[in-house]
Amino acid sequence: MTFDLRTTILVFSLALIILMGSLTVYSVTSIDVYYFFRFLLISIFAVLLVTLIFNQINLNRILSVGWVLFVLNIIIVLSVELFGSEIKGSKRWIDFGFLSLQPSEFMKITFALFVIQYLRFYSFQFNTFRSFFLLGVLFLSAIPIIIQPDLGTGLVYVLLGLMLLFICGMNKFYFISMAIFGILLSPIIYSFGLTAYQKSRIISWFSSDQTLSEKWNILQSEISIGSGGIFGEGFLNSKQNEFNFLPEADTDFIFSIYAEQFGFLGVLIIFILVGLFILLATIISMEQKRLTDDLSPYFLGTYFSLVIGFSFLLNILMVSGLIPVVGLPLPFFTKGGSSLLCFSIMIGLIFSSRSFLR
Amino acid sequence: MHIHQSSLSPKLKDNRYSIYRGRTRLLLALFILILAVSTGRFFYLQIIKGGELRDLREQNINDFEYIYPKRGRILSSDGVVLAEDRKIYSIAIDLEQKPSERSIEVFANIFSDKTDFESVKSKVEQSLKFRRSDIVLTKIGQEELAKFLVRGEDLIGFSIVEDYERQYDPHPSFFHVLGHMGYLNQSDIDHFSPKIDGYNPKLWRKVGKSGIERVYENELQGKHGTKFFQRNARGDRRVITDQEPFSEGNEIRLSIDYSAQKLAYELMQNNKGSIVVIDLKDFSIPVAVSTPSISANDLRGISTAQYQELLNDPSRPLFNRAFMGLYPPGSSIKPLFATFALSNAYTTWEETIFDDGFFRFEEEQRVFNAWKEGGHGYTDLSKALIESSNPFFMNLSVKYEKSKFVELLESSSFGSKLCEDCYPHQYSPLINDSWKRKNFGKDLFKGDFINLGIGQGYMLTTPLHLSLIAGILASKGQYKLPYLAKSNSLEFSINVDIGEADWVKLNQALIDVVYSSNGTGYRINAGNLNLAGKSGTAQVVDISSREEYDEVRENINLRDHAIFIGYAPFDDPRYSIAVIVENGESGGRVAGPIARDVLKELLDDI
Repeated sequence: MTFDLRTTILVFSLALIILMGSLTVYSVTSIDVYYFFRFLLISIFAVLLVTLIFNQINLNRILSVGWVLFVLNIIIVLSVELFGSEIKGSKRWIDFGFLSLQPSEFMKITFALFVIQYLRFYSFQFNTFRSFFLLGVLFLSAIPIIIQPDLGTGLVYVLLGLMLLFICGMNKFYFISMAIFGILLSPIIYSFGLTAYQKSRIISWFSSDQTLSEKWNILQSEISIGSGGIFGEGFLNSKQNEFNFLPEADTDFIFSIYAEQFGFLGVLIIFILVGLFILLATIISMEQKRLTDDLSPYFLGTYFSLVIGFSFLLNILMVSGLIPVVGLPLPFFTKGGSSLLCFSIMIGLIFSSRSFLR
Repeated sequence: MHIHQSSLSPKLKDNRYSIYRGRTRLLLALFILILAVSTGRFFYLQIIKGGELRDLREQNINDFEYIYPKRGRILSSDGVVLAEDRKIYSIAIDLEQKPSERSIEVFANIFSDKTDFESVKSKVEQSLKFRRSDIVLTKIGQEELAKFLVRGEDLIGFSIVEDYERQYDPHPSFFHVLGHMGYLNQSDIDHFSPKIDGYNPKLWRKVGKSGIERVYENELQGKHGTKFFQRNARGDRRVITDQEPFSEGNEIRLSIDYSAQKLAYELMQNNKGSIVVIDLKDFSIPVAVSTPSISANDLRGISTAQYQELLNDPSRPLFNRAFMGLYPPGSSIKPLFATFALSNAYTTWEETIFDDGFFRFEEEQRVFNAWKEGGHGYTDLSKALIESSNPFFMNLSVKYEKSKFVELLESSSFGSKLCEDCYPHQYSPLINDSWKRKNFGKDLFKGDFINLGIGQGYMLTTPLHLSLIAGILASKGQYKLPYLAKSNSLEFSINVDIGEADWVKLNQALIDVVYSSNGTGYRINAGNLNLAGKSGTAQVVDISSREEYDEVRENINLRDHAIFIGYAPFDDPRYSIAVIVENGESGGRVAGPIARDVLKELLDDI
């Protein structure tokens, strides 16, 4: 890696995001300072380690086992359903004692490796069969996630998978027709395809009845955010957290606690950092250092940058009440092994694909 | 380095690359757009709606609860505390530090005589389940409190709660006057809402149900304090931020004389009945007794079964005879009617009739028996009062004009409120045409007056009213409404127009009832008490022949009620009294001596 100005800014903004994320996790749990350092170090190490590992391993090697990783991942997701621990009515975690992982999170990565491996064989030329095949694999592989049940992760997985196919150049006719079908079929999917719990989440988002518990979560989240005002309540001063009014304050809704502590200015800083990071990462990935026939490094770098960017946005939209509550982690904020590991791998792949291009 | 080098033309490669670039830019634009929307959303939430949401947060966190005030004391006229709130200690479950198995065990051991491990444990579980700080043990004694405090460290999860409990003077004579407290219900809300300004029923657990406790609820209840605190979402953690103390309820001082009230109750022994004394200086009530009674403390924490038992007790200990009991006044009403007869010239002090023990009502061809066999012989008004001649008053009563009679009753507070702060109290019915029509479908006719004129038939009065009638006679027709704590000071007078000489003669006749050897109250042996009065017997059942009467006497519950009304001292009356002994038979012999002893106690105090 060469450290030109853009890379410096890129790394710097990532470092700041990780720092702010660790501080916020610490402020939510506020067990002790040791906890903060632990989380910070784990985050930094995860990113560095994974980046270094992926730097060492040739991207071609990884890509050559893409489908193996993907199939393995699906098998693990399915076995979690049989042997995993149940949290809040859905089985999606494997408990390693020190770390509990949600294998479905990794499918965003393994699916991408599989797609790139597959397309590269055909020089990224789509035809009808390949398009239908990849779409079929995408939708079928989403089923194990959705039946966990984890509609949120499954839905995001499908959307991000579609984004990958879009980046890779699949005919836009497919996207347009899927959009139309999706809109037309949504009432039927809602009636027959969703569990009562999933329906309640959707209903609550459209309902104005503040007593519904889902709506209550959103209200409490908005209260946290709004209470921050311009300058925020100050570090460790989140009352919504102190008095336990915000559920899932250390995971899905952690950004609301951040917003209460650091106010609109703090939010702007994170938005700018994330915006800078995603823009630079994508632009750098997109850049033609040397025109090669193999476009996989471009696709991978861009895809993972945008995955991080849109994951961030989806969480932000959720906590601020613009989309229904779906359990989506906030990159480098949410306290959770799998999302940290997952996003670290993505960062690693972004950097390694970039160095691959040089 | 690149294994899969395909052999595409550079043009096609460029084309794929430019599609990729275009689409990536599109996605980047979408990203920036959503980021901008998010920024707008946060601007809206944090800057435009920030204050509003912040207020909601404060509402979330800041809560308060009321601190129950200490209820005001109730004192007797001589300053003895009859009712007061005393601090009691209870042990509650502390939600912040949940009780451990070990502390439950220690707790159950300390209070092994009151509870056991299993019941404490189930209470703890219930409490934690519903997130309430439930009471485990209530009203613990000083010794138990000390034991608890000593073992404090082993009892984490339990905490002491202070509260107040109403404590009454245990003597049963005070129950009916003081009344009792009970849990608020809808009828209480309906009762107090129009009476108390800004009444908020949600604030009160218990309210006065009867007696002074009910009448002076507003004064006694006091004002709540407030405890402000911050709480978490589950409500199991609280940080007190501010506290406003309660203000204690006002003290109510009654006109009840502590020792006379107790003595009066004791004098009734096991009899059912009532004693009411009125202080004629201001028409306050120093004695109001109803027997039998219970200790006011006994109604606290009573079970429904026990309460039912009290309600079903045939001697009716919960019934306040003094204010609620309606009795035929019998001969005790005669002096009042004497003033009426004189005022309307139905008779004079000089008129004499021959009383042979019967009264013959020509119009209906009916014969009425009098109580004394053979009658009283030649009888004038004085003798009719002293010896209590029924034929004399029956003879008068057939002359009564209906409208004037009703006016007399009305002016003597029949059919109207007698006392502002006696609760509950019964009005003595105003006997007029509409009353009779309502109850019997007919107007009053002449024959009715024969019974009414001797205080029988439809005539009914409460002991309170009889005492007031004695007071009216003592103060020559002028009176105020009696009261227990606060007078309304309105002046009344009965609708009779007789001169000072008539009042003197009436007074003398009532003195002779007690002091003359042929007086019905001679057996009272009133001595130097200077008692004037009139005895009466109220028939419980209607008897037409003497043989029947002896039969009836066999059954205690059918025996006549003994009545005595009077006042003392007769030269400058201070107290009026009414004594009713149910099934006591003789007003002079049974009720009179009780009146004497009660008045003696009151007058000796002065």
